[in-house]
Amino acid sequence: MLNTKTGIYEEKAVISLEGKLDTLTSPELEQVITEVIPQTNELILDLEGLEYTSSAGLRVILSTYKRMNAKNGILRVRNVNPVVMELFEMTELAPILNIE
Amino acid sequence: MEENRQKIGLIQQISVLFILGIFLTGIITYGTEYYVTERNVKAQVENLASQTAREVTLAVREYPAYEWLLRYWYENADTLDIEYDAEYWRNAITKEKCRVFSEKHPDLQLDYLMEEEIRALSDEDQKLYAEIAYSWFITRINQIKRANKIDFLFCVVVRDPYDRQFFLFSAADEGAKRGTDYEEVYTIGTTVTVSETQQEAMKQAVLKDAHLGDAGKYFDYYAYMGTLKDDYLLLGMTYNISDIRSTVDQNTLKEVSYAVFHQIFLSLLWLIAIYLFVIKPLKDIQKSIRFYIETKDTETTVKDLTRIRSRNELGQLANDVKDMTIEMSDYTNEIKNITAEQERIGTELSVATRIQVAMLPHVFPPFPNRHEIDIYASMDPAKEVGGDFYDFFFVDEDHLCIIMADVSGKGVPAALFMMASKIILQSVAMLGRSVSEVLALTNEAICSNNQEDMFVTVWIGMLEVSTGKLVCSNAGHEYPTIKDADGDFRIYKDKHGLVIGALDGMKYTEYELQLEPGAKIFVYTDGVPEATNADGEMFGMERTIDALNEVKEKDPESVLKNIRRRVDEFTAGAEQFDDLTMLCLEYKGKGE
Repeated sequence: MLNTKTGIYEEKAVISLEGKLDTLTSPELEQVITEVIPQTNELILDLEGLEYTSSAGLRVILSTYKRMNAKNGILRVRNVNPVVMELFEMTELAPILNIE
Repeated sequence: MEENRQKIGLIQQISVLFILGIFLTGIITYGTEYYVTERNVKAQVENLASQTAREVTLAVREYPAYEWLLRYWYENADTLDIEYDAEYWRNAITKEKCRVFSEKHPDLQLDYLMEEEIRALSDEDQKLYAEIAYSWFITRINQIKRANKIDFLFCVVVRDPYDRQFFLFSAADEGAKRGTDYEEVYTIGTTVTVSETQQEAMKQAVLKDAHLGDAGKYFDYYAYMGTLKDDYLLLGMTYNISDIRSTVDQNTLKEVSYAVFHQIFLSLLWLIAIYLFVIKPLKDIQKSIRFYIETKDTETTVKDLTRIRSRNELGQLANDVKDMTIEMSDYTNEIKNITAEQERIGTELSVATRIQVAMLPHVFPPFPNRHEIDIYASMDPAKEVGGDFYDFFFVDEDHLCIIMADVSGKGVPAALFMMASKIILQSVAMLGRSVSEVLALTNEAICSNNQEDMFVTVWIGMLEVSTGKLVCSNAGHEYPTIKDADGDFRIYKDKHGLVIGALDGMKYTEYELQLEPGAKIFVYTDGVPEATNADGEMFGMERTIDALNEVKEKDPESVLKNIRRRVDEFTAGAEQFDDLTMLCLEYKGKGE
């Protein structure tokens, strides 16, 4: 189960995630992000409600990072809970993700 | 298939309704007919009776001195010598009386005597006149009775409480016997007691001028004619209506049978119409549906349904059923194709899984001649092909490369990516580069063609078998666990690099461990700590370490089997979504 909420403001877009990001739900997030990326140069992923992410979810986040980089934009990730943070650190994605 | 629930035909159900309708029609017709006729008969009798009463009244009033006459008859009933029911062409008594009277009073007109003239007569002549007038009067009312077909016509004098009737005069049919007995036609002065019904009827007549009483076969009618002295004068009539009644009954019966017959005829007509227009097409549709259920023969069913010619709702129903049959057949074919396709994919996936498993070293012990090491590994895909893999191979005589890796995602994409990763890692490692270089070069290779942004976490170790020196590098993979020769298993928090495939140009650091004989290293994928039970609780690293230490002195195969056993106990049959991949190496050293 994953709920996403998207808010687009002048220069940035915020996508809030709630629930679990796994093999089944990460395609949903990928779709949302694909729609948002062309509209902004600063994308913020708010992970406050995200309980868990699998490697499939990490793939989507990594992919987002790459696509934002490709268009000279920036991806920021905020409100990361300890469980998810551990995964970011384990995979060493933490340093490149602009975690706030 | 549901059993046939048709227990009764539509035509029978409708017939039952029609039969009820016929009964109802019969009853209603009978009731209405009877009620109307009854009222008509009563009205007729009442009408006839009141006319007769008027006629009798007029007959009385033809005598100018009728008041005197009535009173005289009433007062002298027992002394009058009356000739009843006289037939003047045969009987001469009254004629003789007339002749005597006319001789005595040639100046008087016998049939038009005024009261003053009568009063002037002698008592004897008064009596004579009264007798003559009475006799004439009886003959007159006999005629009225006959003309009006009245069963009894009489005049009585009554007084409150109406318990007795004083017969002043009564009409008789030709040849009837006169007297004072029951069944005789009463003579003047006969007094009878009467029933309570009669009393009530007379009372009503006095109050309302007339009263018609219904006594079944008879109608009794009383008309009030005025007072006589202090008493009431009532004209009574009785009509025998049994003849009328039976005629009425016959007519009613005829009416009822006609209505019922009419209804039956109509019902039959309706039934035939319903059968032709409703039941028959319906049966045909039903037959086609049943035929389709049993044979699944779309072509014949459609042909049969097309033959139903109704242009009404049933025709539409037949059309709809036809369309449904065609769609059902199409749908069934589609499902068949999809199922076949799914079966094909399923077969291919299981072949893919077998190929994947076969790609990994799976013969144990893998190096029967190398006594310095013992190694055991296993991979159990959770569902189908997965993205986990392990690998180990000798790079040269003295260097054993061990790999534990986990590809992001699952299924066929993960499996394909895993194959590529495994081959690249092994190819690069075989070049004899250091482990950090192996990761960096693999990362370059994968990043160069990674459209899908997939990545793989890799832990790689290079064991120098002769010395026990283990050089490792970690690209975003789970921490390894190490057991020193005399110690317990523990998590070794090594320095991580970025997952492989994320960004190109990454550098990886490496670290060195010195394994003494008896030391073990256990590496795994996240499927182990993240194995989840029915409550959503994860197996976790603590339980993993505990399970390792339970069998820390045993050989790698036993270690892995114990972990597997503990994880299975913990998850207790809850469905697992992640692969379970583990590898354990024991360094035995040269000496053994």
